[in-house]
Amino acid sequence: MTWRSLRPILAFVILVVLHYTLRPVLEWRTSIDFLLIALLLAAVRMRPGAAAVLGFAMGLVADSLSAGAFGATLAMTIVGFAASWLRAVVFAENLVLHAAFFFAGKWLYDIIFLLVERRVKGLDLVFQLLIWSPLTAMVTALAGLLVLIIMRPMLDTQPA
Amino acid sequence: MARASRLDSRFDTALFALCVFLAIVVHGLPDRLRDPLTGALRQTVLVPLVSLQHNAGLSRAAWLAHGENARVQDSVSLQAMRALALESENDRLRRVLGLGGKLRWGFVPAEALHSGAVGDEYTLTLSAGANAGVRPFSPVVAPDGLVGMVQTVDPRMSIAIIWTHPDFRVSARAADRSAFGIVQAHEGSGSDRYLLELRGVPVRNEIKKGTLIVSSGLGGVYPEGIPIGTVIDTLRSDGYARKYLLRPAVMPSDVLSVMVLQPQRAAGGVAPVWAATVAAADSLARLSAAADSAAAARAAGAPAHPIFPDSTRPPNASVAAPAPNAAAAAPPNPDSVAAAARARELRRARRDSIRADSARRANSDSARQARTDSTRRALIENARPAPLPADTTRRDTTRPVPPPSTPR
Repeated sequence: MTWRSLRPILAFVILVVLHYTLRPVLEWRTSIDFLLIALLLAAVRMRPGAAAVLGFAMGLVADSLSAGAFGATLAMTIVGFAASWLRAVVFAENLVLHAAFFFAGKWLYDIIFLLVERRVKGLDLVFQLLIWSPLTAMVTALAGLLVLIIMRPMLDTQPA
Repeated sequence: MARASRLDSRFDTALFALCVFLAIVVHGLPDRLRDPLTGALRQTVLVPLVSLQHNAGLSRAAWLAHGENARVQDSVSLQAMRALALESENDRLRRVLGLGGKLRWGFVPAEALHSGAVGDEYTLTLSAGANAGVRPFSPVVAPDGLVGMVQTVDPRMSIAIIWTHPDFRVSARAADRSAFGIVQAHEGSGSDRYLLELRGVPVRNEIKKGTLIVSSGLGGVYPEGIPIGTVIDTLRSDGYARKYLLRPAVMPSDVLSVMVLQPQRAAGGVAPVWAATVAAADSLARLSAAADSAAAARAAGAPAHPIFPDSTRPPNASVAAPAPNAAAAAPPNPDSVAAAARARELRRARRDSIRADSARRANSDSARQARTDSTRRALIENARPAPLPADTTRRDTTRPVPPPSTPR
């Protein structure tokens, strides 16, 4: 294990810590999902199977630390696998594409999570899926871009 | 190569399917199995994250509490300011209530509104009018003394001139009845604008500083005994009359609630209402005057107090006693020796007299202090409001109080 290979892990840990420190402090209605950013950034550097396992583990952690049903486990498993698979198909070092990637990942996660949890129903579910989830996904995408810009030296695993 | 890739792909898909299957299984777990599982995770591998989340929650709670504390502090400060204003208003209303309790009948309580407009600085608008029983030329009083006189009356409101008005005049006298005169606004500028003048006091009647001036009852408008002001200075006399500067008993800016005396109440006399104030001011003025005269006499070398004449000193002692230097310079003869012995005796007697005088002064000071304290206590007692009537309906204060019925 070299320092170069450790840096993405460190970035991953930082994002997880941010998720459980900054997010409860901010407590916005459209809060930033640092856990999903960490999953997406890790998934594009793994094989789809490993990304699915990582998503499963992170979902299990998220569900254990929240009061809801285990909806995050399934959602993160699917999002992790899909992100890694998309990385294998189409991906480029483009910030706008990364933003769209974060946006789509977060929205997909919210859709699966809300449908699996079945806590919100009817018109509220529609509002949540079509208004609040896209807004949250947008905020998360912006935060993801910021993380990419700040942590680029840590995430860049290619030799200089 | 392609086969290895296909194998990897199948392996990934199988792994994904396994994870999805496990996720569905976990999701479908009943609560009795799910809760121990999550509890075990939280107490083992997730302890650091639980701790982070807990601390973040505490930080947010502290932040919110800080904001709430600031809001509470602001609110408390505001309430404290309001409490002070309410306390002041309560005190003012209690004093007005006390005055109403002493007047008992023949008055109309009213709120005094200051317009503040140019030309209206000498008048007050009263919230009571003819419907309430207010009549023109009725005296307007406050707990501390005379405010002015009603000039114009409408059905629901009236306008009164206050003592700062150039046309305001009231026949007045010293509280000890030693002098009479006419009180009017002092024609000064700046802070002197809010002072009064007592004019037309005969030259032979000198009034000491600190003497309370009250209405004399002459003239028919103002009843006798309403405090007007206190003498603070002597102004230049014109001809055979003296003029005095008075500090008013009531400052116009402090007047917010007043009582309008009805004609029959004014005719009935209100002297007992301010009797305690007048008596207290009179006794204080007497004490002050006595102290002043004693000090003046002492400064002039006269006996300290006429009540306690120095009986040891002959009437012409100052003439009979020779100067020490003169005694030393003169040749010794029997007469001069006798005179020197007599002078020594006189000096000793004078020392004793001074010692006795200082003891008397100390006694007088303590007596004055005690008198002042008792006067202050009496004032406080008088300032206390009369107890409210048992029924909550507003009693008619414009009619005379019926005489108390005698028990059968």
